[in-house]
Amino acid sequence: MAHKDSPPNSGQSLKKRGTGTPALKFAWRYYLLGCGLVALATLLGHFTSGLLAPTNILMIYLLCVTVSAIVGGLGPSILVSILSVLTFDFFFVPPYLTLDVEHIQYIFTLIVFLLVGIALSYFTSMLRRQTETSKRREQEMAALYALGQDLAVASDLQSYTSSIIKRIKGTIGQDVIIFLPDARNEAALKAYTDSSEINVDANISNTAARSFQRKEITECSSDAIKGLKALCLPLVTTRRAVGVIVLIKSGDAVDYSVEQERLLSAYSDLAAVAIESIQLADELHNAEILKATEKLQTALLNAISHDLRTPLVSIIGVLSSLQEEGMDLDDADKRSLIQVAREEADRLNHLITNLLDESRLESGALKLSLQPAEVNDLVGATLEQLGSRVNNRIIQIDIPADLPFIQVDFGLFVQALVNIVDNALKYSPPDSLIEIKARYVHQEVQIEIDDRGTGIPEQDLPHIFDKFYRIKRPDNVSGTGLGLSITKGLIEAHGGHIEAKSQAGRGTIVSIILPVSADLMTAEKFNE
Amino acid sequence: MSNVKVLVVDDEDSIRRFLRVALASQSYTLFESTSGQEALSCVAEHKPDLIILDLGLPDIEGVEVTRLLREWTKIPIIILSVRGSESDKIAALDAGADDYLTKPFSVGELLARLRAALRRAAQTPGEPVFTTGSLKVDLLRRLVTIDDHEIQLTPNEYELLRLFVVNAGKVLTHRHLLREVWGAEYGNEFHMLHVNISNLRRKIERDSTRPQFIITEPGVGYRLRIS
Repeated sequence: MAHKDSPPNSGQSLKKRGTGTPALKFAWRYYLLGCGLVALATLLGHFTSGLLAPTNILMIYLLCVTVSAIVGGLGPSILVSILSVLTFDFFFVPPYLTLDVEHIQYIFTLIVFLLVGIALSYFTSMLRRQTETSKRREQEMAALYALGQDLAVASDLQSYTSSIIKRIKGTIGQDVIIFLPDARNEAALKAYTDSSEINVDANISNTAARSFQRKEITECSSDAIKGLKALCLPLVTTRRAVGVIVLIKSGDAVDYSVEQERLLSAYSDLAAVAIESIQLADELHNAEILKATEKLQTALLNAISHDLRTPLVSIIGVLSSLQEEGMDLDDADKRSLIQVAREEADRLNHLITNLLDESRLESGALKLSLQPAEVNDLVGATLEQLGSRVNNRIIQIDIPADLPFIQVDFGLFVQALVNIVDNALKYSPPDSLIEIKARYVHQEVQIEIDDRGTGIPEQDLPHIFDKFYRIKRPDNVSGTGLGLSITKGLIEAHGGHIEAKSQAGRGTIVSIILPVSADLMTAEKFNE
Repeated sequence: MSNVKVLVVDDEDSIRRFLRVALASQSYTLFESTSGQEALSCVAEHKPDLIILDLGLPDIEGVEVTRLLREWTKIPIIILSVRGSESDKIAALDAGADDYLTKPFSVGELLARLRAALRRAAQTPGEPVFTTGSLKVDLLRRLVTIDDHEIQLTPNEYELLRLFVVNAGKVLTHRHLLREVWGAEYGNEFHMLHVNISNLRRKIERDSTRPQFIITEPGVGYRLRIS
């Protein structure tokens, strides 16, 4: 088996990995440099000893201490301080070429120099470290800021992962794979890469899955490519593991620098939070959809239980009275009872037609059988279908004879018109006028149904085509709130649109606008 | 007991039950079948005068039953179907069915269609003058009048009207009308048909939005209404 785990890393830090920092690795050079500086200072002191007082030569050594503190840090500069004291004592303090000190004042000078040197080394190196740290912080901040900006404009998981991959790749220069839980299958992890060339072999994904489950950093080697190693870093937030970042390393790659490791861990922290936020948003969105669906189902159930049952109450009532032998009904009573049952049955039929159309629209199963049709004919069939309900109403029809034909599914378009006219009939006084007008403007046929009814309050107007939306009215007119939403769906399925204008108390105008294809432009075309 | 025999083919028991009552009240002799296969053998055995055929049968499609019957008999067939299956209706009408009704339908409508179909079947040829309401068509002299006023029709309009008159009360599908008037290659020129119907209506109907004579059968075709 090619794969071997590194021992589980208990802490979530990369720190203890790697053999050493470059600062430590190359430290001996700074000590050497310090020695060189001391030698140089001694040489310089030797040539200028005729001009300068020994205490001034000491200043040259102080300069060396400062330089090595700035360049090499604390260790080298302390070495330089000690070396300086010794060489100065040896070469420039009488008796020369011994470490003996003749005058008591030189002892004092040397002790103070040593103290100053050490203090200087300490403070300078501290300053240097602070500068380095802040410089590193600045770089980290800039890198994180850049990633943050990428993530701010990203809108989906794919763009999130690709910006994270891009940033990490930019830092370590190696291929990166991100594994995230699959939305469809919770148990599986889905791999995101920035190029299809990256080979996600089974061993890597298994290790990633283990790393995800245990929230542990895990290392493995690839089955497919020899010498390829993968380091799996779980993306962990305070709540849970949200995914795994896998860093692909070729075998001879050096370990990451402290900066790289710090940046990697900062990136993965940010990525974890960002990915969690998008996962949470997804979950919320799904929950909302579920809620909306449930609401819709409840509304549908209410509509069915109330609106389908109401006509049945009358129908069963009528039939049972006719069945009842003890009841003394004359012919007129019977006729009026039967009339009630018949009307209710028709209403039920209309309702079921709408419900069926709605479910067909919803499921996309509605197939339009388009044919050219005359608006005149469509309106006629609409009134025919409404039957006795329009016979005692004043309906004014204004359709120009030269109106172009429109391409429609006759039955479905009539159903849409029936719903609109049905509303106009329901929400206007029995003696008021209903107008049906059609005209041709800008390659479009506009059909308008105007009533002189109660109108639609302004706040309700934008919602009247919403499913199950019903305006609260004092008069208890029956309806499901399905009619207009189906009508809208049907008209839009024809490539048209529908709008309503209304003034409360003045009536409502519903307009259907349908584009007219060029070959249907004129009705006179085929006249001989 | 009337000597008119009607076969009802429907697998729904409740529908057969109410048709039984309705048809018995008109003194028709009733036969019932619950499947296509049964219907075919019943027709061969009893030779009914009319068939009421549901399209959604458990074994053979109603359209196929129509086609099989039309291979050897001209018995009037009235199709029963549900809304939304226009293509099945058209297929059945093109296969030779005489008329159709969409469920749910009223018994009054069914009886009217039934009578019209029986009358057409019993029609003796050679009746040259047809009258319905104010419309009078003299097929011999190619003369069309409304309230005794002569109406000028184009040859195609007259040919359409003649087809309606010859098949008065019967549903004629779009394709059938196009083939009969213009020829088989014009079977899909729906626009042309609708334009001609529109013009014909404007000449013979008082209100072309609510026509009295040429009735639109949504998505299927047209029929001439008979008074």
